[in-house]
Amino acid sequence: MISVDEFVSLLRDELALPVTAEDLGRALDAVDSWDSVHLLALCTILERETGRTLPFAEVLEAPSLAAVYRLATAS
Amino acid sequence: MSDTLAELHRAGRLAAEYPSVRGLLAELPDDALPRAGRFLARLDPAEVLAAHPATPSTTLYVTGHGTLAALTPALTAEFARHGLLAQVRLSDFDGWVTDLADPGSTLYATLAAAAGPAFALCVLDPAIVIGELKPPWRAEDVHRVLTEKVALVERLAEVFARTTRGATLVLNTLPLPRELTGQLVELRDRARLGAAWREANARLLRLDRPEVVVVDLDPLLADGIRARDPRQSVYAKAHLSGELLAGYAREVGHLARQAAGLAKKCLVLDLDETLWGGVLGEVGPEGIEVAEGYRGEAFHRFQRVVKQLGSQGVLLAAVSKNDQEPVARTLREHPGMLLREEDFAQVRANWRPKHENLAELARDLNLGVDSFVFADDSPFECGLVRRELPGVAVVQVSGEPALHVEALLRDGWFDVPRLTAEDLARPARYREEHARQSFLESFDSLEAYLRELDIEVRVAPAEPAQLARVSQITLRTNQFNLTTRRLPPAEVRALTEDPDARVLTIASADRFGDNGLVGAVLLRRDGDVLRVENFLLSCRVFARGIEQAVLGAVLAHARGSGVREVRAGYRRTAKNGKVADFYPRAGFETVSAGPAEAEFRHDLARTPDAVPHIRLSADFGEQSPAGRRPAAVGPEQDTP
Repeated sequence: MISVDEFVSLLRDELALPVTAEDLGRALDAVDSWDSVHLLALCTILERETGRTLPFAEVLEAPSLAAVYRLATAS
Repeated sequence: MSDTLAELHRAGRLAAEYPSVRGLLAELPDDALPRAGRFLARLDPAEVLAAHPATPSTTLYVTGHGTLAALTPALTAEFARHGLLAQVRLSDFDGWVTDLADPGSTLYATLAAAAGPAFALCVLDPAIVIGELKPPWRAEDVHRVLTEKVALVERLAEVFARTTRGATLVLNTLPLPRELTGQLVELRDRARLGAAWREANARLLRLDRPEVVVVDLDPLLADGIRARDPRQSVYAKAHLSGELLAGYAREVGHLARQAAGLAKKCLVLDLDETLWGGVLGEVGPEGIEVAEGYRGEAFHRFQRVVKQLGSQGVLLAAVSKNDQEPVARTLREHPGMLLREEDFAQVRANWRPKHENLAELARDLNLGVDSFVFADDSPFECGLVRRELPGVAVVQVSGEPALHVEALLRDGWFDVPRLTAEDLARPARYREEHARQSFLESFDSLEAYLRELDIEVRVAPAEPAQLARVSQITLRTNQFNLTTRRLPPAEVRALTEDPDARVLTIASADRFGDNGLVGAVLLRRDGDVLRVENFLLSCRVFARGIEQAVLGAVLAHARGSGVREVRAGYRRTAKNGKVADFYPRAGFETVSAGPAEAEFRHDLARTPDAVPHIRLSADFGEQSPAGRRPAAVGPEQDTP
């Protein structure tokens, strides 16, 4: 389980994305420097950090980073 | 450490600090590289070039079948590890066939517009075959699809060869997934599938074209990298795993390093705990671990690999903090040693800092320290050398000698596209050079020495068998290289077929032996102007008058064949400063001279005198009625 702050840190420190907590709710297209290819790297990193398996098909359809966070932390 | 990279990125200083990135990456473990790559991939290469125009830049056009986005950061990081800048352009998804088949494609336009070395990476994956199999299928169906695909790749490689000049096409073998073999329940049929798959890969590997390189993925897979992640493959069409793409990017980094002329030539080894176990000064020659026992066998295995590298033209040297005498005795007499004194171009055992020893070694061997790979087990020595001599590739071996071989071979430091006869003879030539140096010390003046050396020089058009060596000279020569224009083998061949161009080789010999093919002169005739497009000479032989004798012969030839003037250019690099005045010293006038390049002309009114201590024969490849015969240009004299 990771906190929202840790999630934001991952995005900044691992993916080099200049995001803050306020960006999480935006549509992915509206996130600065976002590219769909980041989702693959993000999946790998989240699985490594949380030790959980992510539902890839759902992550790939996630409309926002907040939605990715919910999928990564859903029990 | 990698956080320095993140901090530089956030401070917007990554482009300005790009030259320090190589050092930062050198200290990172492999699993930290993807993250570093994501930061570096944020950089605009144009910004780096604006801040550091001399950064060697490589153009990479990535095409293939699946999702290959992970390659961009991986390539960026691997190139930065070698001080190179990757300019990566990603093609459309699954665009490989049209990209390569259409001479008007963006792929070819991108390669043609490249300022430096250019590569097309066509990344093949098993899905190009699996996607065409419909149930029910058997091994023979897979065999048929594979045969079609390989034939297609061969045709595309032909188009590539016809369309590009000097660019390289990188292909790869196809991993065989168990998900495919497991679908055949009959073991005999499954074995046939395995055989057909390997045969297809073997056909790819046998694609022996000068402009094609096939990266064999099997050794990477055998080292434990998984080929694919089923979810990424199914959902995102990423048919090769991120780890495998990272391994592939590393191999491409090695190719780019060669193309940029950054090949390594000399392996410098520490002794205690690197070449043998134990500290010689403490345990004595009888106490070191070198053949017997668990650790001894591990060091022996490492020595075998070092010897194998040495047999392929890699110069070996030792730099050790030890007294000289016990080291010499161990190398000469220890019954367990595989490497002996004569395997080394030089052994330096003393107590001075290693970076000073490396710098002196470079001077003695007439090489740049940038051509050194230095292997040592001490983090202190490795750190010191990295800091003092950033161009040296440092391989830090661990306290576990069984891992030495892997550490040494990790980065293909000494890889070359083709081994030449020169490569194989190089260690012996350097030993002869050592004898020449001792001989020199017995003379009062350089002139007397040169006279006694009895130098013979032959200038002649390049024969087909010499084209690989000529290409290698353009790729590896950094100091005596007037324009540093690198020519892959295919481009050298194209020049030999160009009626206006001449590719001349320079060979030399002296009383200590044959130096072989040591240089090249590239000429181009344009009406009544002869242009020296480049002049290259191996660092082993310069400053003996050979360069003056050959240039004199070129001028004499020009005058004799109705040329009005000879033009020549110089392009400055970090390494070729010592030849900046090569042409003016030979009587050329300066037409223009700037900080980066200069242009010279010679009106042929007076050509230079022959160099008295050199016996020169020159054949410029002109057909005469009597056939092609070398014309003596220099004085044909016997040594006194």
